[in-house]
Amino acid sequence: MSLTPSQWAALLPLIFPALGACLIPLMALDKDQATSKAIRGVMYGTALLAVGASFWYLTDLWTTGAQPSFYQLRMDRLAQFTGIFVGVAAAMTILQSWDHFHQEGWVKGETLSLLLFSVTGMMLFASTTNFVTLFLGLELFSLPLYAMVGTVRARSESAEGGMKYFLTGAVASSCFLMGGVLIYGLSGTFELSAAALTLQHNGLALDPLVLAGAALLLLGFLFKVSAVPFHQWTPDAYEASPHPIAGFMSVATKGVAIIALMRVFPGSFAPLGAVGVKMQSVLALLALATLVVGNLTALVQTNVKRMLAYSSISHAGYLLLGFVAGTPAAYNGMLYYLVIYLAMNMGAFGLLTAFGLVGEKTTFDDLRGLGWKRPAMGICAAIFMLSLAGIPPFGGFYGKYMIFKELVGTGHVGMAIVGVIASLVSAYYYLRFLVALFLQSPSAEAERLASDRPLVHAPLAGATVLVAALIVLAGGFLQTFLADGFTRRALVDGLGLLR
Amino acid sequence: MTWLNSHPLTFLVFAPTLLGLLLMLLPQTLGRLARMLGFMGALAFFALSLSWLLGHTGSPIVERAPWFTLVGLPVDYALAVDGLNFWLVILTTFLVPLTMLGTWDSLKDRIGTFAGLFLLLETGMLGALMAQDLFFFYLFWEAMLIPMYFMIGVWGGDERRYAANKFFLYTLGGSLLWLVALLYLANKAGGFNPALMGQAASALPFGVQCWLFVAFAVAFAIKVPLFPLHTWLPDAHVQAPTAGSVILAGVLLKLGGYGFLRFAIPMFPSAAMHYAKPIAILSVIAIVYGALVAMVQRDIKKLVAYSSVSHMGFVMLGLASFTVIGTQGAILQMLNHGISTGALFLLVGMIYDRAHTRQIADFGGVAVKMPVFTGFFLVVTLSSIGLPLTNGFVGEFWILNGTFLSGFPWGRLYACLATSGVLLGAVYMLWMFKRVFWGPENKDEHSGTHHLHSDLNAREVAVLLPLVVLIIWMGIHPKTFVAISEAPVTALLAEAKAPAVRTFVLKPAVHEPAAHEAPAGHEAAHEAHAAQPAAHEVH
Repeated sequence: MSLTPSQWAALLPLIFPALGACLIPLMALDKDQATSKAIRGVMYGTALLAVGASFWYLTDLWTTGAQPSFYQLRMDRLAQFTGIFVGVAAAMTILQSWDHFHQEGWVKGETLSLLLFSVTGMMLFASTTNFVTLFLGLELFSLPLYAMVGTVRARSESAEGGMKYFLTGAVASSCFLMGGVLIYGLSGTFELSAAALTLQHNGLALDPLVLAGAALLLLGFLFKVSAVPFHQWTPDAYEASPHPIAGFMSVATKGVAIIALMRVFPGSFAPLGAVGVKMQSVLALLALATLVVGNLTALVQTNVKRMLAYSSISHAGYLLLGFVAGTPAAYNGMLYYLVIYLAMNMGAFGLLTAFGLVGEKTTFDDLRGLGWKRPAMGICAAIFMLSLAGIPPFGGFYGKYMIFKELVGTGHVGMAIVGVIASLVSAYYYLRFLVALFLQSPSAEAERLASDRPLVHAPLAGATVLVAALIVLAGGFLQTFLADGFTRRALVDGLGLLR
Repeated sequence: MTWLNSHPLTFLVFAPTLLGLLLMLLPQTLGRLARMLGFMGALAFFALSLSWLLGHTGSPIVERAPWFTLVGLPVDYALAVDGLNFWLVILTTFLVPLTMLGTWDSLKDRIGTFAGLFLLLETGMLGALMAQDLFFFYLFWEAMLIPMYFMIGVWGGDERRYAANKFFLYTLGGSLLWLVALLYLANKAGGFNPALMGQAASALPFGVQCWLFVAFAVAFAIKVPLFPLHTWLPDAHVQAPTAGSVILAGVLLKLGGYGFLRFAIPMFPSAAMHYAKPIAILSVIAIVYGALVAMVQRDIKKLVAYSSVSHMGFVMLGLASFTVIGTQGAILQMLNHGISTGALFLLVGMIYDRAHTRQIADFGGVAVKMPVFTGFFLVVTLSSIGLPLTNGFVGEFWILNGTFLSGFPWGRLYACLATSGVLLGAVYMLWMFKRVFWGPENKDEHSGTHHLHSDLNAREVAVLLPLVVLIIWMGIHPKTFVAISEAPVTALLAEAKAPAVRTFVLKPAVHEPAAHEAPAGHEAAHEAHAAQPAAHEVH
């Protein structure tokens, strides 16, 4: 089979990380991978190269404006956007994990390999509306993640978290599969947009089986988004996994699931207007539940990673509010929010690595006074937390602003009010992070322990934190450039929205 | 230089941030240098603001350019200084260097960072005062919280974390709900220009207008703070370091009143009139309740904090009167409060730095030990009470006058009730003064007052002298400070369709015929004759 250049162009962004993922285990065969800096360097270099090549290729595609496709895989602008998004997240994860795994004393090449497979799966997942391909993508990015959560096998909590995530994730995947099967059974096609047209044509739009199928599909997505009530895995999985992996999961999984959901529900299922309306009301309800549960539970956490996990649940709520508004501008706001969210959350998890917190030592008390000791990281932390809380002039504010503006514009004033009250509540627990960093001095015991330990040295994680802070600031001051030049074009050319 | 000539306001607003960021980048060991640089910079900004603004008293200075359009709503980069904010801007640029100098030695650690945050705060305050686009205003309004949060939380008293969080969340809560109202109205108006939004609002059903006004009013009332939304203030004021308290009282509270004057009232005139009575009721409660609570305080700083509630109640009462004299009184009272309460906090800070206590019971006979300090404290106390010839008198008199003559059926009763607040003000201030300064010296070794051996030094006198001069100046010749706001206030009330009689007090010749038409107006006209002296003072 010979491929045309255009088909190659669609495939290459996926081939690069997949190739890297296959090569890295060969290097990891060496027993000295944990001790030899050269072998580690080659492994991490390969991973970065793979992600970087994909990223480079995608930005190239983006600037030329080409939208190639390979059968069901459509590398359109939205898919390119996703690829760039995932690529940046993966690159930051790789850089952070160099420092983190070194601190943990647990360097295994297969983690990187799994990460690259996951990246491939994510790109696949967000660039298709064919159900089989979609499911392939879902599994390809989920299975490595289950393993990555439990990657530090030396800690029993880690394995426990990974197992929990795997079991719940498997249930969600099978539900997703069942939903697809129902739609396929009634329409006779795997292509979701064609299926929607057929169902509409046959007058099956409100058939209970179709509704059940759509609802099961939605469940699969919402599980990945970690929306209430499919959120229980989130805190355990984040707590169990290494910081960079938790950051990657919180950003990339959520982002890809939101983008794929955007493709399927408002996109492909557009002909099935009635289903769309029903799903929108379901989403409205779940978005509210997500906001309330996520924020209120985050309030009482003492562990920073669990707090960040619940915070990521609550951010899923804000993102879902965009679906409730359901206007092109709201989708634009969601993509914008995702970009800023990527920087904020990768930055926040990167901070934990940069501060040298390992294992279970991630309570607020472990952060005390660190902001003054490491002023650059402290300022970045302030930027991330205030931005997560949605305080201007940082990027997070503009994301919320765009979504709430559309929400109010479409008449959902009540939901917007719940949304702002939720972000008020969230401000409290984000401030707690800053309280620990700046407003509290470390306990005498912690001081004594800290003087015994070697100085934390995490230059790469620190660098990613700085870059993330710059992105958040850019989101606050160059908002139009980002929104019109990047997210809007992804929607216009990708989904054909926003003409 | 040509850029500076065409963008003086941009420079005034953002230059402090640039300097502040620079100071924060300096290493901690250079804190003393940073503090000096910060002070010199702030002084330079004050001098520049004086020279630029005083040269332009005739016409407003405006900078307006389209900034960005996001999700279909254009946002303007719009700054302006006109009659309504002219003196508030100068008050801000004046208080910042003064406070820096006044609290020169109060802080011991991280002084460079503190100076940097202070300058960031100055940007927030000036930006909020000058912004003429509601989105732009909102950005400054919220961003202002961040430096203040850290100033209270890092350098504050024992309960600083609680106070800082409470301050932050309280204010944020009000403004987030306000944001929803703002978005609703922006969607209707297609932008954030206050004039366009006001027009769009007037086309909405009255019930919706009322809701929108309430959302605006709550956000501003929290900042003022109006009873019962004042509970953050005592905590924040007491826990904040002296410099933070001065700026909180001096400028941040003013932004609430200014918000009413600039946005809430002009944009929803009829809804504002509709809610005049509830606002007046809450103001009267704030005046009396704030004074009563101040009376029973044992901590001088807390007493001053509650007196702020009482004084800012006067501001709101003046605004609720919808008369020119009441509104002018409110503007003057905002400046008064900025000067005299700012001075009180500075004085309390100075005595705290020496004695390390603020409990009234720990003091006694301070007048003997610190005569100069006592003299300054006395003048400021009298100004806070509202003694004639000091600024406090003029503002409160105009406000009460305006309320009495407002033509609202409740006006006279509320004016009488509020007058009792002036009386109570004299009680708590003088009682406190008596216990602290007169009487026998407290010989208790634990009270800390035996540290009070040094009177004010030259630096402290240099800080207090301009404030005392202003107190007297504003008391004798208030026209300097309200002449510029008269035209905008008259126009504002005319647009608010306040009945003609309400503008009568200041312009008898113009409005007398109109006053005869309405029976209610006739009645008020009689009263106005009694108030003639006050009216002439303005002209």
